[in-house]
Amino acid sequence: MIKKADVILFIIILAAGLAVSLLPLRGALKDPEVRVTVNGETYGVYSLSEDRTVEIVQNTSAGTFTNVLVIKDGECFMKSASCRNQICVDHGPISGRGQVIVCLPNKVVAEIVGTTGKGGDVDVISG
Amino acid sequence: MSSPAKQDRRTSITAISAMFAALALIFSYIEFLIPLPVPIPGIKLGLANLVILIAIVRMDFRHAFAINCARILLSGLLFSGVFGMIYSFAGGVLSILVMYILYRTNLFSLVGISMAGGVAHNLGQLITACVLLRNTAILTYFPVLLFSGLISGIAIGILACVIEKRLPEFN
Repeated sequence: MIKKADVILFIIILAAGLAVSLLPLRGALKDPEVRVTVNGETYGVYSLSEDRTVEIVQNTSAGTFTNVLVIKDGECFMKSASCRNQICVDHGPISGRGQVIVCLPNKVVAEIVGTTGKGGDVDVISG
Repeated sequence: MSSPAKQDRRTSITAISAMFAALALIFSYIEFLIPLPVPIPGIKLGLANLVILIAIVRMDFRHAFAINCARILLSGLLFSGVFGMIYSFAGGVLSILVMYILYRTNLFSLVGISMAGGVAHNLGQLITACVLLRNTAILTYFPVLLFSGLISGIAIGILACVIEKRLPEFN
């Protein structure tokens, strides 16, 4: 049932997967911040060391979309969202380098950024 | 111009294609009803791929592609919405292309083909998400989606192998 080529392909995919999953883990963040992006444009950058609640409101011709992002104890999480699937709300809190919470329906992305040794960004994994 | 026997065969292939599309749609519906309890969009079993795999092996690329497109269009209209349809389409087209190419090499079993298809599907969806959100930060999901595509692809591939052996010949 399983051929030799299957096993080789499996090992290649597995190795590629392990390689890309280890990349963003290198280096700790000095001053972690969360960058909120709406439709590709930066909505705001907030420090994780300061507790606050950020309301992300979009007024468009298609209606009003709201996401509420809470920063607490050095972590942030999506408290509520006006979208249907609530995947971003169910997503746990994030605090580490390169971690993201995405709300696909509202096109909202919250990502952890900050200065590292070389000022590297999450973009390293795409490069 | 075609002989009656040839026409019969064409009719039967059309009927089987329609049946396959309906079955794939049902599988999409089952997955829509019972989502996996993970907070990351894009992780799913890919039951509908079972149908597509068997269509690639038993019919041809043209029919498999048409079945997949019909399934995506209908499940998009019925369950997942237009945006869901765009993601499904990107994943579905990339995965069927990869699976067909691997199938044509004659080197891989259904397990290997399905495994690559699962990974390609998730990659297609992730690239679509990057384009739609105009943000590359979500590429950090790539490893998770790669492994989930790998595992679900293998599971579906094994299932397809077992089912394909027990299916009677078409006509």
